[in-house]
Amino acid sequence: MTIGVKVLKKPPRTLAEQAYLPETVKGLRLTMSRFFKNTFGPDSEKEIATVKYPEETRVYPERFRGVHRLTQRADGSPRCVACLCCSTACPAQCIHIEPGEYAADDPRAGYERYPKVFVIDELRCISCGYCVEACPCDAIRMDTGVHMPASTHRDHFLYDKETLLSLPGADGSLLTANTRPEPGDADHPGIDRDHH
Amino acid sequence: MPSFTLDGQQVPYEPGDTILRAAWRAGIEIPHYCWHPGLSVAANCRMCLVHIESGRQMAMPILRFDQAKQTYVPDTKPKLMPACQFPAGDDLVVSSTSEVVKTAQQHVQEWLLLNHPVDCPICDQAGECKLQDYWATHDQQMKRKRTEIVHKPKAVRFGPTIVYDAERCISCTRCVRVCDELVGDHVLDSRERGNRSEIFVAPGRELDHRYTLMTEHVCPVGALTSRDFRFKARVWFLKSANGICSGCAKGCNMHVDYDPRSREVERLRPRDNMDVNQFWMCDDGMMSYKAVREDRVLTGLVGRGEARERVAASAALAFAVERLSAVPADKVAFVLSATASTEENAALARLAEAMGSVHLYLAARPDWEGDDILRSADHNPNRAGANLAAGHALEESVEDLVSDLLAGAVGAVVAVGADSAEALEALAPMAALDASVVFASNHGVLSDAASVVVPIASWAESVGTYVNEQGRAQAYRRAVTPPGGVQEGWRAIADLAEALGHGLGVERTEELMPMPAANEAAAAAEVTA
Repeated sequence: MTIGVKVLKKPPRTLAEQAYLPETVKGLRLTMSRFFKNTFGPDSEKEIATVKYPEETRVYPERFRGVHRLTQRADGSPRCVACLCCSTACPAQCIHIEPGEYAADDPRAGYERYPKVFVIDELRCISCGYCVEACPCDAIRMDTGVHMPASTHRDHFLYDKETLLSLPGADGSLLTANTRPEPGDADHPGIDRDHH
Repeated sequence: MPSFTLDGQQVPYEPGDTILRAAWRAGIEIPHYCWHPGLSVAANCRMCLVHIESGRQMAMPILRFDQAKQTYVPDTKPKLMPACQFPAGDDLVVSSTSEVVKTAQQHVQEWLLLNHPVDCPICDQAGECKLQDYWATHDQQMKRKRTEIVHKPKAVRFGPTIVYDAERCISCTRCVRVCDELVGDHVLDSRERGNRSEIFVAPGRELDHRYTLMTEHVCPVGALTSRDFRFKARVWFLKSANGICSGCAKGCNMHVDYDPRSREVERLRPRDNMDVNQFWMCDDGMMSYKAVREDRVLTGLVGRGEARERVAASAALAFAVERLSAVPADKVAFVLSATASTEENAALARLAEAMGSVHLYLAARPDWEGDDILRSADHNPNRAGANLAAGHALEESVEDLVSDLLAGAVGAVVAVGADSAEALEALAPMAALDASVVFASNHGVLSDAASVVVPIASWAESVGTYVNEQGRAQAYRRAVTPPGGVQEGWRAIADLAEALGHGLGVERTEELMPMPAANEAAAAAEVTA
């Protein structure tokens, strides 16, 4: 089989184009007009595609999976019950949890389990969001709207419980919109038959 | 053997068997909660209902919902029988998978979950819970109840070892029957009826007998949880190795559950062996895994008291060789241990033979309180094994060693295992000896009195054999890897022998076993287990 060859005709050039200089001046005019418009012109007319990172950042979409946070209950305690569903689901095995039990005289004793230790290795995290899907309590979220800040120390990427609890969501709240009755609330069904 | 038909299959039975027990023997599972092979029949969970298709049929009147008429119409269904209570007999035709049985199983499962809190994420039983298993196999529908569940007491302290959650309880009374029938202590009972039913502890008592953890072991749901294991691990992370309890001469078979990620033993569970422990273990045995974590010898130790230094295991071995070389070979005393494996004892006994020493002694833990259920009064797992390794019954104790040391008959000591009945003060002659070498996984009186301690792997970190009081050699398997630099006991002893110029010439533990009969018995135990 022979290869078919199609000969294309070279586009003809005018004398002005052949002379080189006028075309250069035309090009420079376009460049300089963009430069002055984007540098000194009104904001509404700017046609610039880049942002001055890190002074400026783009707004991430609403469902962007950013840095994790642990949501709080109204009293400031973690909603997390240390069930380890997130660390079970995690394909990168980056979540370390040590469950504990509230003491009997603690007002939160009805919650039973809570995380004594909760550490996420953000360097290992692959941002898949499985932990958020697995959580039965809406306790872990990736809705902070920020990505992992850079650092030169590995330790800085180990986010402990206090850090994770202190991060607000993109809406600025430490809580979640999905509230539910807690032990002690008037609408909570009670934790035993004597406390209806 | 006579047999009956179960789901089109011939199932053999022994006279006196119920349908469920015969099926269990044949390895066929009929779903059940309250029935346990080691306990009496309660027939209260109704999960094992089957249809006896042979014989005269009894019809039950029911109201069936008619889709066409959009109303309930009178109908009948066959009366079902609990397989756990119905005696097996010839010519019996039983169905556990017919439509009417499946419907019954689904309804019983839905009924048991009606007031269940479904708090699986915070429940320790999750992953090995019958409610979860049977929901997946027999129910598979979302909860239809739309009202609040009946709330009952949660996290009730039953005793030093057990916590009870009445909301998760299905009132199968397995725990009550364990206390009544295994232990003979009627400390648990159930009260109230229907959805208010719960288990309670006898007033003025605590659940504090010696087999409390068996109540948790038989609990098919998360109602009873062990306070020791509570919230410690999720069971789906755990792997299991076959172990033999090191608590006493009974030699209970057990599962050693460990976390392969952290390489730590998390709990022990009884492993069924009808010839030894049936289905059970005592609390002390269940807690014996703590020795793998606590009070361990992790490095070589040289010197005593304040002057004791930590060195590498290989350096400790070199020290031992140096000290022992200064003593005539026939004046070295060898202390076998009733708590060490047969292999470790055999290695030491072989070294004694190679060095021409006749000074063999046996160190053993003092007796503890036994009972008629499982616990042997002999607190040592392997007294028989140590005697087999020595080739004769060892009469000489550590007490005799001390008097021989005082008399000057022996000038050096090599021991395996750190446990002994004597107090440290009584071991003063050994504590004054320049050449006293102890191979130990945990600290004890002998390691405290030693001038050189060589770390060895614990039972969970090595393979070995215990010979129990019945003379039954039972092998245990490695669960976790030993800590860094620590060898299995027999290998460390073989290294010492090599360095002393009396190489044992063994590469595998099998070559160490002094008696082929024990090997065969161990292999047989492995097969039946």
